[in-house]
Parts: sequence; C-alpha cells; structure tokens
Amino acid sequence: MPRSTETPARGVSALTGAIVVRLRKPARLRNLEAPFLLGAILVVAAAVALVELGTGAPFDPSLSWQLLGLGGLVVVVHVVLRVVAPEADPFVVPIAVLLGGIGIAQIHRIDIAEGLTGWDAAATRQVVWTAIAIVLAIATLIVVRNHRTLSRYRYLAMLVALILLVLPMLPGIGKEVNGARLWVEVGPMSFQPGEFAKVALAVFFAGYLVTARDSLSMVGRRFLGMRLPRARDLGPILIVFAASMLVLVVQRDLGTALLYFGLFLGMLYVATGRLSWVVLGVVLFVGGALVASRLLPYVGNRFAAWLDPFNPDFIEGQSYQLVQGLYGFAAGGTFGTGLGRGRPDITPLAGSDFIMASLGEELGLVGLFAILALLLLFVGRAFRIGFSGGDDFGRLLAVGLGFAFALQVFVVVGGVTRVIPLTGLTTPFLAAGGSSLVANWIIVALLLRLSDGVRRGPRIVIESATGDQPRLVVGA
Amino acid sequence: MSELTYMLLKFGFLALMWVFVFGVVYALRSDLFGQQVRRVVARAREEQMAARATATAPASTPVGGPRRGSAPPALSFDEEPGSTQQTPPRRLVITDGPKAGLELELPEEELTIGRSAESGLVIRDDFTSSRHARLLHWPTGWVIQDLDSTNGTFLDGARVHAPTPVPLRTPITIGTTTFELRG
Repeated sequence: MPRSTETPARGVSALTGAIVVRLRKPARLRNLEAPFLLGAILVVAAAVALVELGTGAPFDPSLSWQLLGLGGLVVVVHVVLRVVAPEADPFVVPIAVLLGGIGIAQIHRIDIAEGLTGWDAAATRQVVWTAIAIVLAIATLIVVRNHRTLSRYRYLAMLVALILLVLPMLPGIGKEVNGARLWVEVGPMSFQPGEFAKVALAVFFAGYLVTARDSLSMVGRRFLGMRLPRARDLGPILIVFAASMLVLVVQRDLGTALLYFGLFLGMLYVATGRLSWVVLGVVLFVGGALVASRLLPYVGNRFAAWLDPFNPDFIEGQSYQLVQGLYGFAAGGTFGTGLGRGRPDITPLAGSDFIMASLGEELGLVGLFAILALLLLFVGRAFRIGFSGGDDFGRLLAVGLGFAFALQVFVVVGGVTRVIPLTGLTTPFLAAGGSSLVANWIIVALLLRLSDGVRRGPRIVIESATGDQPRLVVGA
Repeated sequence: MSELTYMLLKFGFLALMWVFVFGVVYALRSDLFGQQVRRVVARAREEQMAARATATAPASTPVGGPRRGSAPPALSFDEEPGSTQQTPPRRLVITDGPKAGLELELPEEELTIGRSAESGLVIRDDFTSSRHARLLHWPTGWVIQDLDSTNGTFLDGARVHAPTPVPLRTPITIGTTTFELRG
C-alpha cells in the first residue's frame, strides 16, 4: 500500500465511512417497510377488484377513489415515520394496512349484497373511520416522542379507563345494542368506549406493575407449591376482577370482561413470572363466569347456544347467527367460493362480528389462515418489541398490547368457530366499527414508538444498586 | 368473464396473500429462528475467519436478518486487506462486574456511559454519575473522556482527566464495572 503515513489516511477513510453510515443507516428499516406497504396496497387493490368481478355488480368508482385517498394517507404515515421514528418496526404498518384493506373489501362485498351505497354503505364509513384512525395514529406518534412519558400518566390512564368503562352505563348517552350495553351515543356519533379503555388499561397496568411487581412476586406464603400473595397485595387484582365482573353483569358482555381480566393476568404473569397469580385469576374468572351463566339469562343463552347450536329450539333463535356462520365456513371449504361468489350476507352482522365467517366462506381455509398468520405476525412483532425493549415499562406495555390483541382475536375467532361461547368483540382491523379501528391504530402507533425507542435506547443496562439480581439485560 | 378466468384470479389472490405472509416471515427470519449465538471466544475466532474470508469474497456476510444480523457494511473499511495496523476496536466487552461477559457493538461516533437512561451503556450502581463518561471515535481512534464524574473513570488503573486514547484490550473501570475494547 503506497501510503506515506498510516494514521491520516486511515483517519480520512474513517471519517468518510462515518458520513456514509449516517446518511444510509437510519432509512434502512423504512426502506424495508416501503416494499411491504406497496405489496399490502397491491393485495388490497386485488381484493377490491376481485369483489367487483365476483359479484358482477355495476362498477361504482366511488370506493376506488376513497381507497386511493386512503393509500395516500398510508404513504403519509410512511413519510412521517421516516421523520419522527426512523428506527420503528417495519412490519407493523404493512400488516395493519393489509388487514384493514381486506376488511374494507369484504365489508364492501356485503354492502353490494345488501344493496347499500353511498353513506349507507358500511364500507364508506369504514374508509372514513380508517382515515380518522390513521390520522390519530400519526398524531400519537408525533405527540408521544418518548414512551416513558406515558408511564408518568399511569393513574390518569386508570381514571380514563374506568370512566370509559362506566360511560355506557350512564343513562342518556349509553345505548343498548343487541342486548349488550357497550355503546355511547353522542349526537350522530356512536362509539364503543371499551375499545379505548383497553389501551388505557394496558398503559396503567404496565406503569403499575413496574412499581408493584416486587412486592407481588417476592412476598407471600407458600401453599401447595405455589406462592400465594399477601392479602394487601391482592387489592389491585380484586379491583380489576370486580371491574370486569361489573362489565359482565351491567353491560352483559362476557367478551369484554374476559379481555380486560385476561389483559391484567397476562401482564401480571409477564411482570412477576408467578404462575400462581394466573391460576388464581383463571379460577376466579371461570367461577364468576359460571355463576353469571346461571344467574344472568343473557350469558346463559350464550352458553346454551354454544353447547348445543343445532338444537331445533335454538336454531331459529339464539344460535341462528352462529349456525349460519358455521354453514358459511362449510360452504367455503378449503379454497373458498371466491370473493363475491358466496352468500356471507345471510349471517346477521356479517360485516362486523362475523367478518371472520364471511372471509372464511369466500377465501376458504387457505385464505383464513393467511389472515390468521398476519394477525399472528402482528402479535409476534408486539412481543418482539417488548422482548428487546430497554426499559421495563416499555417492555410490559408492548407485551400487554400484543397480548390484548391476541386475546381479542382468540375470543372473536373462538366464538365464531364455536371453540368458546360467542361474545360481541370485534376482530381487530378487519371488522366494521370505528372505535375498534381507532383503538387498534393507536396500538400500532404505540408499538411503532416503542420499537423506535428500542433501537435508539440504551444498548446495555447494568444494575447492581441494591444487590438483588439484575433484571435488565441486553437491549437491541 | 369466464369461470376459468375467475377461478385463476381467485387462486391467484390466495397465492398473493401467502406471498405477502411469507415475505414478512422471510424478512423476519433472524427474529423467528434466532440469531447466531455470540460468545466472546466464539466471536473472536469467527472474526478471524471472517477477516480471512473478506480478503477473498468481500460480499459475503454472515447469516442474519435486517435488524442486526449482518455487520454494518460501512465498517468493512476497517478490514481493508493490506492494512498493516492492528484491527480497530469494534466492540466493547464487559470483563468484570455484574454483567461480565456481555458485549456490545461500538456505535459509529460516540457511546455515552452513565446512570441516566439516555446513556448508551447504562450502569446503575452506587458509584456511577448520571453522565459519567463517554467514548469518542476520533479520527485517530477511540478515546475515553471523563465527564467530571464524582468517582472517576480509570483507564488501566489510572484516573482519566483529559480525553485519553484507549488501546485495545485495556481495562476501563467505572464503578464496579470494567470493560475493554476489542477488535
């Protein structure tokens, strides 16, 4: 090498090398995201085109224009991410876009079957809600620049969650739909506050458990090989249990109750690593649900329809919807009837609660499993973000959000496929419903923010302050 | 439109969905199937191999995903064949303290060390200041700078007062933690 002096030559090359890194490296994950976003938009376009072809209905260009606008908004999300969270996870947004788009295509298909157009069409409203949800997600990303600030507002989050839970019970604004009191109606707008409560609760649990988990996991008497918590530590779990039972009794919604309680138990287990809490919680919940099924006719009906749906006494009544959904799955078979070629509209609420049955009928087992795989990947990303998180609050929050999402999918899909009693939760991203969309896009924004923090945050945390074993290990 | 065309489109759509799913899975492969186990000894041996390999095939990178699998390409200038100098430091290995054995890859420009959560290397013990010290990548190499910490930063047993070059495999002690830079 014809270098006169070694050091300056190396210095120059190191300097230019560093500059190259700074220009290129931050965009790496975003550059990975771009083709997946494009692919997601392509699949959605194909789904909508297939719906139009399959139904053979006269082509109405309005939805195409709306979807084009939505596509533009997705590009805006991508650009905003490049600026405010360049190191965020590259798969969360494409998966959410694809799931949401397939949901819109299927809702549009049911609109065609029911002859709904314009503002009557659920697909139009879904597009508008998606736009609102994405805008709110962008706002969340811009406002929440550091997820640790959220942990400061944990008790505020608890208060918000409790208010949201109670809202539908208030006379005047609370509204009862299909026997469940989950809705709040303010003027022309109606929404399900429970969906937002889910996010607020996850923030509260994460903040609370970071501070309380030591007393929860370390102290207590051993009994039957399990460490039972002290009575005074039992307080919060009993409060959450009481709140979810209140939801069950007053709002008559088993699914939401299961979701809140499951969220708390899941996060408690992640925070403390104590199986005894989970056992205790599951016993409490199953006991409560059994008592409710005896005492509350609404829950009892759901149980009866679940255990014996083809009973001639039920089939025209309480289990009609469930059975139609099952027939839909059966009609779809392995590869489905094809988009637009089935009869998913026979099932009541085919676009919202039973969207999985609609999709199962028209896309078949193969298509349904692709959707479940996407949902699984989304949950996997959330867990992964939690797993590699730098601080305990962020870890718990990511895992909690992912677990709530997974549990919700399980409760919905399990209900529709008769694995568990049918409940009224919405399928994340897919089902028609604004509150659910907004809440889930806010979850997307939080996961993006958390994953960005992971990549930029501390690499290694060494803790040896009090002599106990260090908890935090290597970050990303 | 014939039934056959619709059939083909229907299966094409299902295939498209699965292509997307497998695309994501492929991009995530290092996350799903784990990464190469990095151990201090194994890494050193592997790097010797890699250094030999880069001389013949510079494009080959170790198996890894997009997140952090492969070595940053920009660092490859450090391994220019023919460079007579010792390999420049690329990672920080903790040799003593509660997290002995851990290592992290050195960032491009600087690594801050301290108690605060914003630090690149967070050390929370009773002897560490919130902004304790930092490692800087100067054109001449890595230097350690003490940021007026209460209990000091020690390079090879001597307290650091001004930015001091850090030779390879020289212990730096902060509080109960000792680490060194390795190639």
